[in-house]
Amino acid sequence: MTPANPGLKHLSNALATPDQLSNTSSSIDGVPTDLETSIRCAGAQLTQAAGILLHLPQDTIAQAIVIFTRFWLGADGGSLRIYSAKDVSAAALFLTAKLSFNPTSPRSILNVYNFLLSQEVSPLWFVNPRGAPREPPPSESYILTEGGYQSARLVLMRIESVILRTLSFDTHVALPHTIALTYLQTLGVTKSAVARRTVEHLNATLFSPQLLYVTHQPNALAVAAIYLAAREEEFKLVDGEWWEVFDVDREELGFLVVGMRSTEGFMRAEVEQWRNRPIPLVIDQVDAEIDRRQNMREGE
Amino acid sequence: MSAAKSRWADDDPEADALIAQRKREKEEKRRAKAEKQRQQEEASKATAEAQTRNGDSGPPKKRRRLSNDPDAPDAAEEAKSEEQKKVSSLLRFPVAEWGPCRHVDNFERLNHIEEGSYGWVSRAKDINTGEVVALKRLKLESSPDGFPVTGLREIQTLMEARHPNVVYLREVVMGTKMDDVFLVMDFFEHDLKTLLDEMREPFLPSEIKTLLLQVVGGLEFLHSQWIMHRDLKTSNLLMNNRGEIKLADFGMARYYGDPPPNLTQLVVTLWYRSPELLLGATKYGTEIDMWSIGCIFGELLTKEPLLQGKNEVDQVSKIFALTGPPNSQIWPGFRSLPNAKSLRLPSSSAPSGGGLPLLPRSRFPYLTNAGLNLLSGLLALNPVSRPTAQECLAHPYFKEDPRPKPKEMFPTFPSKAGMERRRPRHTPVAPKRGQEAPQLDFAGVFGGAQGGDSGEAGAGFALRLG
Repeated sequence: MTPANPGLKHLSNALATPDQLSNTSSSIDGVPTDLETSIRCAGAQLTQAAGILLHLPQDTIAQAIVIFTRFWLGADGGSLRIYSAKDVSAAALFLTAKLSFNPTSPRSILNVYNFLLSQEVSPLWFVNPRGAPREPPPSESYILTEGGYQSARLVLMRIESVILRTLSFDTHVALPHTIALTYLQTLGVTKSAVARRTVEHLNATLFSPQLLYVTHQPNALAVAAIYLAAREEEFKLVDGEWWEVFDVDREELGFLVVGMRSTEGFMRAEVEQWRNRPIPLVIDQVDAEIDRRQNMREGE
Repeated sequence: MSAAKSRWADDDPEADALIAQRKREKEEKRRAKAEKQRQQEEASKATAEAQTRNGDSGPPKKRRRLSNDPDAPDAAEEAKSEEQKKVSSLLRFPVAEWGPCRHVDNFERLNHIEEGSYGWVSRAKDINTGEVVALKRLKLESSPDGFPVTGLREIQTLMEARHPNVVYLREVVMGTKMDDVFLVMDFFEHDLKTLLDEMREPFLPSEIKTLLLQVVGGLEFLHSQWIMHRDLKTSNLLMNNRGEIKLADFGMARYYGDPPPNLTQLVVTLWYRSPELLLGATKYGTEIDMWSIGCIFGELLTKEPLLQGKNEVDQVSKIFALTGPPNSQIWPGFRSLPNAKSLRLPSSSAPSGGGLPLLPRSRFPYLTNAGLNLLSGLLALNPVSRPTAQECLAHPYFKEDPRPKPKEMFPTFPSKAGMERRRPRHTPVAPKRGQEAPQLDFAGVFGGAQGGDSGEAGAGFALRLG
């Protein structure tokens, strides 16, 4: 067995333990697993949307989503009945941007989140199932007041500290995107559509209900995305078990390919399931949703 | 990766039972929050046990399936060894996990070591293991932007910079209040500054080489990881009694990139600050660390800080007094630096013909030619002329006699940090983040020597702010 190479730290990530995956703080607090998955996935999408509106680079956004995902795992992680997913999303993005070359101000973050979480104007399907209005609505409905800003800023700072404490200040996230580009070059892939599709898979996998970013190393994610992209674009890669060159075995590759392909179906099911009501991203809404489900069960 | 597989190999009833049992434990734990700390240790112990158990039954799924196959034991055996061979050809990544911060009460504070500009440090004992560590409390003044980015960068860069010559950050622990944050690091008996102060004679040439090689080796690693230290000085170099020296205090460190991001010029303690920073350069690189290495080299040779300026203007004049004034031949473009406009240079500075100008030999009488050549390179005014850390390590100075002294032959010294309070510092401190970068008027740098254009007696150093 080759010993782990400590020099590869910058290419690898801390991974969730099986216990952290099966025992989340939210599940201990009685949040149904499927609800937790829905909220986590919606929170990841919220982070992505906010990052785009803030003009943050995709690597910063992706790192924020990974930190957001890690936060909820394990009995020592955050519980959806104690912390609002929207606050954790905002703080994760703020924290990641702060450490990047493109820091952003609390005010920008909070303005964007206020807009995205507005039930009247939000373009996000899981916040505003009716969809963004055609006519631009009055700006009062989504502009943060000064008082609202001050109190939201305090929450942002507090949740930032909570995230840091929960993750022992380990903000390191290695991403598969640049690794994938190197692999594509190594494999001599000349078709740009393959590269584009690879990156698309890697970005979509950020929302994976299997939490692939916190269970697999970035090199494996990169290899699986390339494998899938090449198949979809009908690009013939080299013969032989090329993934082994990139230190991924067949079994892991197979698992990841299945996982990545299932993300689309999962998303469709989510949109279908939450067609009529928003996904709860605030503690009170989570409590209400759990009560609602309880009442429905008792009604039966 | 077999580790990943064993992580998933929980499909047997025993593991399910284990998980269920642990789940019950966790629920109990939530009820008895007062006992949280103790329970946490138990839980982590259980995880560790589970891991070793997994390790014992460690082989990946595939192998287990094969060995369960009763019909073909030989083939299974063969496939097993083949599988193992295959697995071993794949690179393993370090498998790290995450968990919440521990509480600072897990450490018993022994004595205070020092108070720097970025927090105070004390010697402490891990109550569970008995190990002695250094505990550094981060200064977290309430900032409108949340957790201070300097503290985050210090933790981030230290966590990434795992190298024998970089101080080892063990973990980050928290106090009861949210803004009590402590870094737990390996304890070192000395810092180089205090050691040099206490020593009667400077280090021997062979010892200087050993120390310098380690410091530059650590720095070379940092630069290869795109980290700039930005506050190298003798008080930030920690030493133990085994001849080992490590870079510490990453309060100014940060990642840089290509193209470089916007950087503050308010970095590096004055005496170790490079001329381009003093002249107000906003774009700079790892060369600023190499200048500091040159200052440290000089300090090792003479036991005294090389360039002890009283302020920025005085620092610049001390530098030029040592190196000679800049001219457009040795440093093209220095004139366009913000603070260079006011610089009036003596007209007599005739450009010397070709090559890097050497520092005056009289200042370092015992240094060999190769040593003077290295020092002159590190203290080159033009950042481009300074050697990189990598080039520095390959310099002939380290290959000529006397050779670097083996670490184990190093003398030992009584430890100030381990026993008693330090003498108060008299070195300047690193610049504070958020300060305004001063607009400096260097008109006075050569004012005294030149005369003529200023009638004022004393030709003091005018520091014009704003």
